Amino acid sequence: MSDLDEFKATYFDECSELLLELEEQFMAIQDGDRDADRLNAVFRAIHSIKGGGGAFGFDALVRFAHSFETLLDYVRDGRVELTEEVVVLCIRSVDLVADFVNAARTGEVLPAEYGATEKASFDALARGEAAETGGDAPGATDDLDEEFDIDFTPVSVDLDTDTPLSAAAPSAGGATRWLIDFAPYPTLYERANDPLLLFRELALLGRTTVTAKLEALPDLAGFDPFGVYCSWSIELASDKASEDAIREVFEFVDGDCAIAVTRLEALVEDEPASGDDLPSFAELAEAAKAERKFVPTGEPDAEPAVRIAPAISLAASAPAPGAAAESAGAAPRDAEDGTGAGKVPGMQSIRVDLDKVDRVVNMVGELVITQSMLTQQMDDAIRDRYQELVRGIEVLAQTTRGLQDAVMAIRAQPVKSVFSRLPRLVRELAGKTGKKIRLETIGENTEIDKTVIEQLSDPLTHMVRNSADHGIETSEERLARGKPETGTIRLSAEQAGGNILIVVEDDGQGIDRDRVLDLARERGVVGPDQQLTDEQIDNLIFAPGFSTASEVSDISGRGVGMDVVLSNIKKIGGSVHVRSWTGKGTRMTLRLPLTLAVLDVMLVRVAGSPYVVPLSSIVETIQNSRADFGHMPSGGKVLQVRGEYVQVVDLARRFELGSEQDDADRFVVLCEAEGNSKIALVVDDIIGQQQVVIKSLEENFERIDGIAGGTILGDGNVALIVDVQSLKTSNAHQNAA
Amino acid sequence: MRAAQRGFRDMEALEIRDEYGDGTAGVSQNTLQLIAFSIDEQIYGVEITTVREIRAWNGATPLPNTREYVRGVINLRGTIVPIFDLRARFGDGQTQPTKNHVVVVMSVGDKWIGILVDAVSDILTVSRDDIHNVPEGNSIDTELLNGIVTHESRMVGLIDLHAVVAGAKPDA
Repeated sequence: MSDLDEFKATYFDECSELLLELEEQFMAIQDGDRDADRLNAVFRAIHSIKGGGGAFGFDALVRFAHSFETLLDYVRDGRVELTEEVVVLCIRSVDLVADFVNAARTGEVLPAEYGATEKASFDALARGEAAETGGDAPGATDDLDEEFDIDFTPVSVDLDTDTPLSAAAPSAGGATRWLIDFAPYPTLYERANDPLLLFRELALLGRTTVTAKLEALPDLAGFDPFGVYCSWSIELASDKASEDAIREVFEFVDGDCAIAVTRLEALVEDEPASGDDLPSFAELAEAAKAERKFVPTGEPDAEPAVRIAPAISLAASAPAPGAAAESAGAAPRDAEDGTGAGKVPGMQSIRVDLDKVDRVVNMVGELVITQSMLTQQMDDAIRDRYQELVRGIEVLAQTTRGLQDAVMAIRAQPVKSVFSRLPRLVRELAGKTGKKIRLETIGENTEIDKTVIEQLSDPLTHMVRNSADHGIETSEERLARGKPETGTIRLSAEQAGGNILIVVEDDGQGIDRDRVLDLARERGVVGPDQQLTDEQIDNLIFAPGFSTASEVSDISGRGVGMDVVLSNIKKIGGSVHVRSWTGKGTRMTLRLPLTLAVLDVMLVRVAGSPYVVPLSSIVETIQNSRADFGHMPSGGKVLQVRGEYVQVVDLARRFELGSEQDDADRFVVLCEAEGNSKIALVVDDIIGQQQVVIKSLEENFERIDGIAGGTILGDGNVALIVDVQSLKTSNAHQNAA
Repeated sequence: MRAAQRGFRDMEALEIRDEYGDGTAGVSQNTLQLIAFSIDEQIYGVEITTVREIRAWNGATPLPNTREYVRGVINLRGTIVPIFDLRARFGDGQTQPTKNHVVVVMSVGDKWIGILVDAVSDILTVSRDDIHNVPEGNSIDTELLNGIVTHESRMVGLIDLHAVVAGAKPDA
């Protein structure tokens, strides 16, 4: 029983991955990329979901996936044209498959007619096409009828759908011959490039025949040992190489050689299988057997072997169509292995339980602390006396740092895992609001620590929702304003120093500042006489309980949402910033730390206790005696720095701790909070800089205003992390210094 | 059939345990084991199963903007644990801790906390039947104590840990 559960868990894991891939592939297909590889990939993914589902008896899922798969199959061999409508239907169907999978996971029972419309569309599309081909190829109709009438049993139907395609699909692409003329310049060798490596690279694309051209070789008298006399012509036979792919091989030596790529005629063609003339199984098997003879044995990497591998395995395991059904369980798997040969062999990965990784991360954190504690213990006397020990500790420090980086890299994940949930959201929103919306994603391979990623999903969802609901206008409005009918939401991620920037940008109407300000005044968020800059008004949308939707909509605008974004992002040490251009669009920028686990900080002392301030927020430090303070009527102080007046917060007073330090000996730490606003913190002493591991206070206690968390110093004591942003925004009279 | 066998084996196990009859086996539903500690001359107790560790006072990092009975936080093998000053919690002013003062680390719900006391005195085994209600009168007493139990004719107050932890921030 537990074994079965384990298999199920693995299956669902795989399903989520496959669904992700489906989503990705279809997005590319929708963008006009009709590469045969993509179709093969989606087919494989659906097929795997179906296969596993059948094994566990998820009938609803299997029935739906089967119809879907059949359609894809027909699309793949060209019997159904991949029109825009078909793509849209497919994308919606991926969502439905996800729902079916989810229902299977939770044990929820979906209504019987769930997905029935789509299923009917598949069948209609497939049948419509079948009727046409039926005229010229009666045999084909039988084949199709069989498929649609059959009450589904996973095994027997499987092979039906698999066979024509495994044999037909590769031939559709066909192997192409390319002629590459390659003449290196002397500079190529001067830069220590080796043509041999390039040829090897080319050989990965297909079968190559390399001929050296030695015509230019002079006689011995005229021979310059450093001269370049040799050029090559390479013939490449490949079904997957494009001119771009070939040129990419030579990208490295661009400008250091003369290169010409010419396409020769297609190599092998006309196997019996083709779109409008469906062959029988026997013919296929024969064809496959016949081709097998030409496969050079012992050369699994060679192009022809890859190309007909599916057919071979089929022929081997299915000598006759009648017997095929029994061995179907094995056949598709082989076929998959064959077509999956495009995978890079070097990419190996293992699944590891996250808990295990977290445990390692924690222990490495402790190790870092212990190591820095050891380092702190070393005084000059020890250094002089135990040189070997000191050297050992220095090496240990390096290794520890390396180990820490390596461990963090394990936990880093591409933001893709969050981004990939959004296309569906946008589709649904577009459907509900009747708007036309396109989602573009950029930089989805940017990696962030898993702990950050986890916190990112909700805020991003809210932001995209907000853009779709409030930002993008209806088609009519857009047309009236001379904008393209379809609105665009662009989602991008990039690394900038120690931060990750995630930008959600739309080309909608922008923030209605008058409305925002009116509402803010109405709700007391902003005082009646307070004057705000445009930027400040824009950022009001993150104020708690704020919503500007004229009517509360089903999607966003319940007055919760954007403030959730802010609080979630702040919790993980990030910041949110919004800019808006009236009529042109809105851009929301999330700035996130690369990892939550380590932080570069400045260690300071306040009333005898250690505090740390994140280095990323510090602008500069000034001695109190040199700082230019001004006094305010409230008794508070402001700091004048480069013509700017900055609010001063005395941490000892703010934290209600007595400081005995003489004012003149204290320090001002000038910090930058969100949106370029500054705050000057007065501390008793500055101790130094270091890296710390962030520990939660909330784990065993609760959140404290002005404190972002704790950390453990080298001496084993706890230091508190100052939350610059919350000091800036917390009540002004509390801060009065 | 199998169930009967298992029941039989359990009974055997019980008998074996009783053979050791050193008193600990007697800790059953009706008795309670307490860690007893003192503040001034008064003895208090907490159930032994909640106690994780007892350690000497070694200072704590103060937490800003908390009530005076929150003495700060300590590092317990990489985890940050808050320390509550039980004397201050009772309203008798902050303890002036020395190296001889003791922190009792225990789990309350899913959190770990430490309480600062003068000394740990004993492990007591008491009967649940002997637990008396706290006399009505002072709200601090009824709030912080679950009950009172008599041990060797001395009064032991049973600390309600949840109450000790609650309301640590001035605005809470």
